[in-house]
Amino acid sequence: MASARGTKLGLVGAFASADELVAATRSVRAAGFRRFDAFSPYPVHGIDEAMGTRPTVLPWLVLGAGVAGLAGALALQLWTNGVDYPFVTSGKPAWGLPAYVPVAFEVVILAGAVTAFVGMLALNGLPRWANPVLGAKAVQAASSTGFAVAIEAADPAFDEARARAVLAGAGASGVEAFHAPPRAPFPRPLVYGAWIALALALVPPALIVAKRAGVSRLPRVHLVRDMDRQPKRGAQAESPFFDDGRAARLPVAGTVAVGELRADAGFETGRADGDWLSRPPLEIDRALLDRGRERYAIHCAVCHGADGRGRGPVAIRAEALREPAWVPPSDLQSEHARGLADGELYDVVRNGVRNMAGYGDQLAARDRWAVVAYLRALQRSQNATSEDLPPGVTPFSR
Amino acid sequence: MRTEAIRFAPERTIAGDLGRPARAAAMAAAAGAVGVLLTAFLAEDGLRRAQFAWLIAALFVLTLGLGALFFVLLQHLVRSGWSVAVRRVAEKVALTIPAAGLLLVPVVLPTLLGHGGLFPWAAADAAHESELIAHKRPWLNGPFFALRIALYIGAWSWLARWFAARSREQDLSGDPQATLAMQRRSAPAMVLYGVTVAFASFDLVMSLTPEWFSTIFGVYVFAGSVLGFLGLCVPLVLLLERRGRLRDVVTVEHYHDLGRLLFAFVFFWGYIAFSQYLLIWYANVPEETVWFQPRQRGGWAPVSLTLVFGHFLLPFAGLLSRRVKRRRGLLAAWGAALVALHYVDLLWLVGPAFRAAGPAFGLPEVAALAGAGGVFAHALLRASEHSPLVPIRDPRLGESLALRQT
Repeated sequence: MASARGTKLGLVGAFASADELVAATRSVRAAGFRRFDAFSPYPVHGIDEAMGTRPTVLPWLVLGAGVAGLAGALALQLWTNGVDYPFVTSGKPAWGLPAYVPVAFEVVILAGAVTAFVGMLALNGLPRWANPVLGAKAVQAASSTGFAVAIEAADPAFDEARARAVLAGAGASGVEAFHAPPRAPFPRPLVYGAWIALALALVPPALIVAKRAGVSRLPRVHLVRDMDRQPKRGAQAESPFFDDGRAARLPVAGTVAVGELRADAGFETGRADGDWLSRPPLEIDRALLDRGRERYAIHCAVCHGADGRGRGPVAIRAEALREPAWVPPSDLQSEHARGLADGELYDVVRNGVRNMAGYGDQLAARDRWAVVAYLRALQRSQNATSEDLPPGVTPFSR
Repeated sequence: MRTEAIRFAPERTIAGDLGRPARAAAMAAAAGAVGVLLTAFLAEDGLRRAQFAWLIAALFVLTLGLGALFFVLLQHLVRSGWSVAVRRVAEKVALTIPAAGLLLVPVVLPTLLGHGGLFPWAAADAAHESELIAHKRPWLNGPFFALRIALYIGAWSWLARWFAARSREQDLSGDPQATLAMQRRSAPAMVLYGVTVAFASFDLVMSLTPEWFSTIFGVYVFAGSVLGFLGLCVPLVLLLERRGRLRDVVTVEHYHDLGRLLFAFVFFWGYIAFSQYLLIWYANVPEETVWFQPRQRGGWAPVSLTLVFGHFLLPFAGLLSRRVKRRRGLLAAWGAALVALHYVDLLWLVGPAFRAAGPAFGLPEVAALAGAGGVFAHALLRASEHSPLVPIRDPRLGESLALRQT
């Protein structure tokens, strides 16, 4: 060791008892030294006063972190729940302060504890590989039976001869110097370990990127299976609980579900007292016509065509394939179609006619009437004369 | 090794003849009792008001004694060294429990006789009015109630006396086995204490509103009781130190530790109080919120806020600093304030059952407080007479005298 010694960093004096240690630190301090430390196997009362150690600033840091945590947690909750996205939970007010307290409390504890821990390390200059003073024999002895005082060479008042004299004068049984450790290369295993850890740390993000960028045909990974098995009976399932053996229950006889009352026969069937209704039994406005156009485009236009002339894509395709059983869809712009009563058109939509299936299951009564109303508008648009133009508009001529 | 230990003079810790202050306390008790009796006969709704005022005052002194008993049990349970120098004070305060138990006689007797002024369930027709009360009949009935209160008081008195007597014997014998015996008994004693305090709080306070329930209620009353005792302990120890009985025995280090406990129980009380409030507020179930409803309205709202700030937030901030805990006078002032707020806490717990519109605090309450406080002070002084105020031959006394905070 002696051959590899670095710079001299200070002097260490060995002492025999705690009282001597306290007295020695007192005289070292009285001699004007400020950068020195005392070493003892157990806490020695009075050593702080003797060394002139000032109270640590750590409690203030912890207090500050706690107050900041409190303010931050309350502000976060007030802002997110009460201002930015007010969300009613259990009928509580958006600024439900009692509900915010537990989170704020936990954040205060977290901020305070982390600050206390990290602040303690930082104020003590930790972590570090080793303290050179630990190389001194007297300091090593202070972990079992001895006591020691170390004066650092970095102290502005440091003068080796004087420091030696002060330590000896305080009753040191021996005074030794301690040195900076020889410069050693950074330990190779640590370097390799760090590289391996870094490489491994890249694996999870790489997997995430691969999964997000690629396509998988496998079913989704299903971690939480709580909802898979539920104590309920599926649709059409059997149940031995009921006499009729079905799990699904029918409504009680004579009851009508909310919104399902069909009291107006004309509105439902398009026929009143044996005659077809001539007009839809509801008010026709722009919204109804828009609804009718939308329903017509979904359900009717595939065969009858967007213009109603029976040249929809299905019809064109069927003709191209020369389907033998194909019956061409009716031309809705024909004299016959235009002459039908509204109620009769409604009945066709609802129950179908010839080869056309009824759309009563797909379209609610109001939607069927909307289709009829739109069809009337479509027919008028395809068979318009110049008299149909609004006043003041001149017909466009080729 | 310690200079303090050398200066310790056991004979100086012995309290002398306390007959005069004890007589003064007895007179205060008598005057208070007369005041309460006058209230009962003269004031409007006087009987009920006198009963409630008396119940609050009796609970106040009883809970101070219970807090002291907890302190004694706790120190033995954890083999505490620092607290030996102040433990005798707690032992003496705990010895007031039998007297405080006698104060409950005017509370228990009318209830036993079927008078429902305090406890609505005690009235003969209460069960017919409410199904819930009828359901609780097997527990809430006069004879069983009286029996339970007697059992609680008996158990606490027995614990207080047993521990005080062993400690007092040790003053003479110096036998370290006594310390070990108390330590062994402290754990089962703590279990007995916890159960009895919880159920006593259910019986004496919660059943004032018999349809309401809160499982944390016992912990709440316990937290307030211990805080009340610690608040009382600091000025008491300071008084004894100033009078010379504890001079060179207690040092600023003991105040520091008492201050820490005070601080801890300020927060514990607030934590428990808020826990009770939060769950009831969040669940918002009518049969639970009914208890907080009157306390948030009218005259009780300022009392609730007084508790939130005075019993919790202000002392929390005030006792946070190490410097405050090491300043005897300031710490004693905080302690005294917390004792006063412990009374406000009990007023807040009990009072709305008397009048939901707002607190009733006036001459009847002061008279009841003087009466119960006089009994308490008399019992405390009589228990302390001619006795060392420090366990002079406790094996851990040296450790306590040498206490230093690192």
